[in-house]
Amino acid sequence: MSSPRIDTSVAPSQVYFEDVELNVPLETPGMTLTAAHVALFTGMTQDVSPRDDGFVPDLLALCISSGLGWRVPRPPLAVLAFMGFEWRFLLPLRVGDTIRSISVTNTKRSLREGGVVIEERRVVNQRGETAQAGKLTLLVAKRPKP
Amino acid sequence: MLSLPFVSSPDDAFFEDLKVGREYVSPGRTVTETDVVMFAGLSGDYNVLHTDAEHMKGSLFGERIAHGLLGLAIQQGLASRGEPAAAHGLLTAVKWKFKGPIRLGDTIHVRSRIVGLKGGTEPGQQLVTVERQVMNQRGEVVQEGESEHVLGSRKP
Repeated sequence: MSSPRIDTSVAPSQVYFEDVELNVPLETPGMTLTAAHVALFTGMTQDVSPRDDGFVPDLLALCISSGLGWRVPRPPLAVLAFMGFEWRFLLPLRVGDTIRSISVTNTKRSLREGGVVIEERRVVNQRGETAQAGKLTLLVAKRPKP
Repeated sequence: MLSLPFVSSPDDAFFEDLKVGREYVSPGRTVTETDVVMFAGLSGDYNVLHTDAEHMKGSLFGERIAHGLLGLAIQQGLASRGEPAAAHGLLTAVKWKFKGPIRLGDTIHVRSRIVGLKGGTEPGQQLVTVERQVMNQRGEVVQEGESEHVLGSRKP
């Protein structure tokens, strides 16, 4: 068996602010974008802008990357709140494309309650091209006092 | 009172018809538990903030809240029903702040203002920047930001 970076027998059940490592890239598994994703998303958002067949709504990939972001070789981050983000849409995505995301935390700022973590994230397609990218600002809990 | 749903007039269907400073108000929509459960399934984001009612009783918010990105996705749909089609080209950039929680049962609507128009003669050169605020039924701004759209087609 390959040796995982985190020994889950002793690892905390969550990654708290103090545990967040800077400049360590985390890569998610892939997700193939299907017509079902598009139909569900369009039905849920009711975006009435006319688009062609096979078009994947710009925000759908961002939303899927938020779920993929939990599927990394690290216990879940103790997120208290999502504070904001800046995002760029660089390449169109089509039904049938497979996306995954790669993120790196490059800033941590401690507050009295929790701390702010800024994560750079890229969404790449099956050819490794960056389709969307930006930075996300999260409020993360500090480790509870024993 | 919220204003009545705005319906785009054919007059502002094209880039050339948009004006900086023009404001729009979308219809409202109640964000339900069903929306949150469906969004968790679609996005794969099952964080306790959105899915564990018992855990959230002891949290900052006291209850489950909607995913921030669900609010963003819903406001995009609302805005598409409240703004001219020309302000809804493909997204090129978004800067967004989540200022407060959207709670299950809250009713949100969007106030938008066109803040930037960058012209060009070819499709793909016409950029529209829109500032948006997502308001709840108490008139609180729960999300706000700016998005930039590029137009894929133009007036023939």
